[in-house]
Amino acid sequence: MKLRHLFFVPGISLLLFIAYPLIKMVFNVDPSILLDTAKEKEVINSIILTLRASLIATIAALITGIPLAFIFARKEFPGKKILEGLIDIPVIIPHTAVGIALLSAWGRHSFLSKSTGLNIVGTEIAISMAMFFVSVPFLINSVKSGFRMIDPRYEKTALTLGANPWQMFYTVSLPMVKKSIISGSIMMWGRGISEFGAVIILAYHPVTAPVLIFERFQNYGLKYALPVTVIMIIVSLLIFILIRIYEARK
Amino acid sequence: MDIRLNNVNKKLGDFHLKDLNINIHEGEYFVLLGPSGSGKTKTIELIAGLLNPDSGTISGVEGKQTGLIYQDYMLFPHLNVYENISYGLRFRDLKKDEIRQKVNNVAEQFGITHLLRKRIGMLSGGEKQRTAIARATILSPDIYIFDEPTSALDRNLKEMTRSLFRKFHKKTGKTFIHVTHDFEEAISLADKIGIIFDGKIVQTGTPDEIFTSPSSKAVADFLGYKNVIKGEVKKGVFRSNGIHISVRGEDSSLSYIAVRSDDILLSKKEIDSSARNSFRGEVIEIYKRATGVEIIVDIGFPLISEITRKSFDDMNIREGCSLWVTFKVSSVRVFSHDPDISLGDR
Repeated sequence: MKLRHLFFVPGISLLLFIAYPLIKMVFNVDPSILLDTAKEKEVINSIILTLRASLIATIAALITGIPLAFIFARKEFPGKKILEGLIDIPVIIPHTAVGIALLSAWGRHSFLSKSTGLNIVGTEIAISMAMFFVSVPFLINSVKSGFRMIDPRYEKTALTLGANPWQMFYTVSLPMVKKSIISGSIMMWGRGISEFGAVIILAYHPVTAPVLIFERFQNYGLKYALPVTVIMIIVSLLIFILIRIYEARK
Repeated sequence: MDIRLNNVNKKLGDFHLKDLNINIHEGEYFVLLGPSGSGKTKTIELIAGLLNPDSGTISGVEGKQTGLIYQDYMLFPHLNVYENISYGLRFRDLKKDEIRQKVNNVAEQFGITHLLRKRIGMLSGGEKQRTAIARATILSPDIYIFDEPTSALDRNLKEMTRSLFRKFHKKTGKTFIHVTHDFEEAISLADKIGIIFDGKIVQTGTPDEIFTSPSSKAVADFLGYKNVIKGEVKKGVFRSNGIHISVRGEDSSLSYIAVRSDDILLSKKEIDSSARNSFRGEVIEIYKRATGVEIIVDIGFPLISEITRKSFDDMNIREGCSLWVTFKVSSVRVFSHDPDISLGDR
């Protein structure tokens, strides 16, 4: 047996491990129930809310995260390693713990809530915040490695050609990491959409799709949770495929 | 105005540029020569204002436009040739038509008009180089800085590029600063050479000064040739101090030849061989080295030959004894330094 044949065995097992439950789930759902569920207002609203909240989180991360990624990629300063590590923390801590942490920072009686007058618990802002917290490392790390891949001499050349640092960033650095920004944004958005643990602690209502799935499973069992789950997966997949097609065309 | 670096120090991580003192006259072709990792690129980045010195001063560059062209040209891959060339004009108060006019003029000058709409990835090495120089030239720089511009080119293209650089320098009359690790390139282009080792300028001078009297063994070793002789070439014969050496090279009233010490054969009697250069001389000095023995034979000028210890013992060579030195035409390198293009203070 050739090596590449041998390599197929573990590879195919892995792919099946991921694909089988998804396929099984789709075939387990009665198409007529699926259609009915897709028409339910609660389901439609929760999916739109999920996509929108994650999109807002991603936009906020683009505004704040790109400059930070640039600093991490280009500058050396004391404590940089610690700050870079801080960005990765959300990936390793349980997301329910993230929810609790955010709740203690922004909860009704917290200092931040009192001093800003903002009461975010149970709002869409809270959902976006929870999504932001857990998924921002995907964007920052992607953009950071994008900036690291660019030879700094491109930027230096822009400066000698008369650009000021801001013009250099805007006309050279940023367009050159476009691909990293797009792929990082897709990763972050997708990760945000799937967030459950942190979201449910900060905002049970309005109900996001992952919370709705959990709620239906808790109250009515697997049979009722399945259609929502399948719809959510189909919608997410469609969006990702469309983005990839758009990207491949450019 | 001359460019002067006075006691410039710059620390970058573990690397340290130490007490740089460089004086480049206006309109001069200055070559900064040194091995890789010696601090050449950092030095030109200081001159271009991309780095600030930790101490010391740099004068003669304030308010001047510098055209810095890096080794791999650094053409912006997300822009096409037109957009690359016009990049620097974006930040000047110019109308679109004026920009188009300027780009067309400079593109014509560099013979790249047909490439203006092409993507950078579609260009050949030579086209990239011309685009990069055009991008700098469009801003009418007072100082051109080239970082290893020929290192990616093959031998033939290198020669051609050098000749283009010479002509371009003559045409613009601007100050050129050119970084290289290739001493042939340095001698063929420079009015003045600065040699940099490990963040330190170890010697500056005309090619003549540097190649006839290297300031240190390190410089001489770096130059790679133990025998560098000044003279003139006429019809395939190099003449210096009454000695005629057969060479391959074009006629020039000022030439240098260089012969590696291990290319020179020593014998007690004249050898009947295909080598065209054979001279009788007297051994004036003998140095034992780790790698062998260096014998200096005076044939009208001193010539250094390196032989193995065994040969040295077998031949029973002593100071004052008479020997024949023989070397092939192909082992003689000829460097012409075209005096017409020198704008320096020699």
